[in-house]
Amino acid sequence: MYTAQDLISVGISALLTAGLYAVMSYGLAIIYGVMKVINLSNAGFVMLGAFLTLVYFQQWHLDPILGAFLNLPVFFVMGWLVYRLLVRRVMTALPIASLLLLFALWLVVQNVALLIWGSEDQSIITAYTYKALALLGFRISLTRLLVFGVALAVLTVLHYGLGHTYIGKALRATVQDPQAALLVGIDTGRISAVAFGLGTAFAGFAGGLLALLFSFTPDFGGSFQLKSFTIIVLGGLENLAGVTVGAAILAFAESFAVLFMRASLQDVVAYALLVVALIVMPGGVAQLLARSRS
Amino acid sequence: MMRWVRSGGVALAVPALLLALVTGGQPAAVPEISIGSVLPLSGAFGSSGNYFKQGYSMAIDDVNNAGGLQVGAQKYHINLTILDDGSDFTRSRSLVEKLVTDQHVNFLLGGYDTSLVEAQEVVPDQYQIPYVEGGGAASDIFKRGYKYIFGTLATIYDMGTITMDYLAFEIGNGRLPKPSTIAVVWENTDHGKDYVNAVVDEAKAHPDLFQIVLNQSFQLNGTDFSPLLQQVKASNAAVFLSDAHLPDFITMHRQYLQAGMYNQFITYGARGPDQKGRQALGPGADYLVAALWWTPALKDPASQLFTERYMREYHAIPDWFQALSFETARVLVRGIQDAGSLNGPAVRDALAKVVLRNSLLPGGVIRFQPNGQVIGSYVMVQTTPGNTVRIIWPKKLPEARDATLPLPHPQ
Repeated sequence: MYTAQDLISVGISALLTAGLYAVMSYGLAIIYGVMKVINLSNAGFVMLGAFLTLVYFQQWHLDPILGAFLNLPVFFVMGWLVYRLLVRRVMTALPIASLLLLFALWLVVQNVALLIWGSEDQSIITAYTYKALALLGFRISLTRLLVFGVALAVLTVLHYGLGHTYIGKALRATVQDPQAALLVGIDTGRISAVAFGLGTAFAGFAGGLLALLFSFTPDFGGSFQLKSFTIIVLGGLENLAGVTVGAAILAFAESFAVLFMRASLQDVVAYALLVVALIVMPGGVAQLLARSRS
Repeated sequence: MMRWVRSGGVALAVPALLLALVTGGQPAAVPEISIGSVLPLSGAFGSSGNYFKQGYSMAIDDVNNAGGLQVGAQKYHINLTILDDGSDFTRSRSLVEKLVTDQHVNFLLGGYDTSLVEAQEVVPDQYQIPYVEGGGAASDIFKRGYKYIFGTLATIYDMGTITMDYLAFEIGNGRLPKPSTIAVVWENTDHGKDYVNAVVDEAKAHPDLFQIVLNQSFQLNGTDFSPLLQQVKASNAAVFLSDAHLPDFITMHRQYLQAGMYNQFITYGARGPDQKGRQALGPGADYLVAALWWTPALKDPASQLFTERYMREYHAIPDWFQALSFETARVLVRGIQDAGSLNGPAVRDALAKVVLRNSLLPGGVIRFQPNGQVIGSYVMVQTTPGNTVRIIWPKKLPEARDATLPLPHPQ
């Protein structure tokens, strides 16, 4: 049996994981919300974000947290270019076209990374990688705490931006009703490019943070992609704020489920939640909350 | 007219004569033996797959540089073809079939990792092509009645047994508590099941020495082991046993250290001394105990020569991957020589009886059981600061030393 201390420890770990899950899912949510496109290349950009962070660390001794921030503008430009050169050409085609295109892009990114960095596991070890904070009898990994704090800060800034800037409001308007957004004079083409850039920027940013926690190879990112799908479905496919809720639900469900079942079934929790969400609440938690308010 | 004919004849004869002089002295092309292998050169097992490629290449280069392989009255150049399965087992099997049906290889060298070897092993018997592997150690590989499969890795079950034997020794010495509480976590594969079965069997046989307080499996290539490690912490076990492949070892032990956990004895199976693991974990990988199929710390002449040669060629310290793959290729070559033929069934029969001496493997000899698995053993080491290892078991080895037990508390 587990003591209260054990359960609280798991809860703290789940909370820290939720922050990480939220930041790696936001990119996917933004792109789907605005463009109704499932960005299968998200995992590739997460992986690339991890490798670029490694490059900054090795070449310039740049701390990985700062490296993750540097990834934001770099990957925004990357995403913008991908949209302009590739994605917008298939926007009017069947949805399968964009799915295949972005999946192919993922494979290309993976293979380019393989050519450049090879297949060996890479890691970033900093002076604080193995340090922990002792708080009220609990030991909290410093890297996980930092990643959680940074993720929370960036998501807060994003939320503020979405609510208080023209671009943010235009993004939200396009998510709610693209036709209406067009009618009121929003350049939805430009907004889509911004959304893709922003989504890619978040993928690169998440990759930089993940590089602090995990070792990585060009195959990195795929397993997180499945969790991200679950999170955005749980939160509500077109609800950006719901992503945070979805991330929390998944992180807590996974962490506590393992205490009472085989750890090898941990991934099943994500898939089971995805199935339940799609059947019982396809609009996600956000829709559930909206219904209860009305 | 006759002058033109004579001139034309001379004009044709001279180059023809020159051509005959040039080509007439050339030896016939050297006949070739084709050996194929499908390895994970990318993907989750990419690091290890590339090490296997190095070992195979070194062994085949030795044969070719010595003039070729003598088979009966004929010398053959060995052509080694290696394909990348990307650590995907469905691709692995289809590529082995492609090697056999499209590229018509004579013999096969195995892949790396139990899951990929298990996918490949259905092919050799179908085509009666001998297959020697050094990358899959689960005993299930050799329980399926295949006649053309030979393995140079001692089983994971034996790894679990030797680990428990060593624990019993240290418990007897008073360096670990009696009984020692054990938390065992294992990857949810045949590899992991072999390991945990050995641990459970030994614990049942010696309840006065061992008490299993946690027995949990985890999914291969996991990303977050925090809940699992929380269970390990809550079990308050003295001993933490884990069977994990390199990527999971790196992730799990990193999270173990970040959680500030401590156990008196820690092992991740064969992980710990791997160069990749030590680079990824730094001093965090110190004092881990590992059961290895080979280590560069072995002082026998064959091991030392191999280590020096590898360091000259690749400017790095070899791990067991390179040594085992080197020996695996050597065994196959020896089988072909002993058979005196390129006939698959004949080479298969020769491999079944082969005795390869001066081997790098602990014990110095490679021979196979009737089911194709090697009669082999392990050496146990403990990683020590400064990217070094100390051999700790079996004690009969002259280079064996005492382990640092219980483990030092982390700073």
